[in-house]
Amino acid sequence: MITTLFQLAWVFLKIGACSFGGGIVMIPMIEQEVVNNYAWLTKTEFIDAVTLGQITPGPVIISGTFIGYKACGILGAIVATASVILPSFIMICLATEMIKKFRENKILANFLRGARIAVIGMVFDAGVSIGRGSLVDTKTVLIAVASIICLFKYKLNPIWVLLGAGIVGLIWSG
Amino acid sequence: MTPTDKTTIDNEKLKEQAERLYLQGLHAFAGSANTSDVESMKRAAGLWQQSWKLYLKAGDTERAKDLKKSLAVLYKKEYVKANKNKKTHVSLAGKFKDWVMFFKIGCFGFGGPMAVFTLLEDELVRKKKILTNQDFLEGAVLGDVLPGPVTMDIVTYTGYKLKKWTGALIATLVFILPSFVLMIFLAMAYDKYSLTPKIAGVLQCLGAAVTGLILSVAMKLTKAEMKDYRELCILIWAFASSLIFKVDIVVIVGLCGLVGIVVYSNEPEERNK
Repeated sequence: MITTLFQLAWVFLKIGACSFGGGIVMIPMIEQEVVNNYAWLTKTEFIDAVTLGQITPGPVIISGTFIGYKACGILGAIVATASVILPSFIMICLATEMIKKFRENKILANFLRGARIAVIGMVFDAGVSIGRGSLVDTKTVLIAVASIICLFKYKLNPIWVLLGAGIVGLIWSG
Repeated sequence: MTPTDKTTIDNEKLKEQAERLYLQGLHAFAGSANTSDVESMKRAAGLWQQSWKLYLKAGDTERAKDLKKSLAVLYKKEYVKANKNKKTHVSLAGKFKDWVMFFKIGCFGFGGPMAVFTLLEDELVRKKKILTNQDFLEGAVLGDVLPGPVTMDIVTYTGYKLKKWTGALIATLVFILPSFVLMIFLAMAYDKYSLTPKIAGVLQCLGAAVTGLILSVAMKLTKAEMKDYRELCILIWAFASSLIFKVDIVVIVGLCGLVGIVVYSNEPEERNK
């Protein structure tokens, strides 16, 4: 159990430190670690974890709480959540102090620019990866396409899209 | 009706008016006490001044004297407050105590970083006037640039601005608490009920919508960041190495960062959005 806690802390610290650009970016990283490497969750459970993270208020990384809970109970949930927040917490506090210097450093700016593009690649990766698990028949594909159109073209608030998908799911599953 | 009677009635009327003005002033003053608003202080002072003049006219010197005293207190207070406001922004921010606000935002922070950002800005810049717009934009830039969920970053940043490390810690913890507790309960419920076909069906549809959500985020980001072929190359390489070759994320992000340093090094100053 102690080993699992340390593994959880390590994985989520790593994820917290590498997720330039927001919560969704973390999804492929999390999946690779918790499903493929450590097998704390099955693929289906992982997709459900991400889904739950989306429908609760607050940031997406709250999926980490779910994963931590699945891996190691409440203690695991606390460790995972704290670890995923910690890196950005420290960096933000330090950067606030020296924001001027921070923004004028060209090397750092270029590094971050490159890193951000890498991160976009991984977001696509997350879409493909999650899609392989969740798009199992015509109706799920239809839902995914519809939500892309609503979000990308009409810029709807995600919460409405999720709510709609939930209602459709409720009707379809009878 | 004798002339003296008439003046007494007039005086009564004047006093009544004066009292009303005094109360109005008091109201403005009481309203200002907790928002440290110089504007309402000034209004209170003006109203009391009028009231004082009316009392003098009515011949009620006792009351006039009292009013003069409270006016003096008011002026002193206003003076002190105005000075404080001018002197330091930080001292005002240091007194911030409304951490419950972060809890509330944590409860209703649906809809991603921009929603939370707007909520915080509304509270702290427009209503409480503790932080400036400039502060907020810098927070957004930092949140964008540094790792971690942007929502979280903005909350931590705001907390830090308000009360350094303690503020950042309190704000972050209080903000995450509602979703954390909710998630624990959901995880427990999930363990118990996930096998019901109905719930599994709903979760499956939600999962499909989340796929759409992720892809649309990726598309939006691509639209914002893609400027020429170099970006496209990095993007494809990152995508492929993560999906096909299962390279560790730290390696991918780090390498792309290094590539960024090299590729953009001889470029004229270009601001990141």
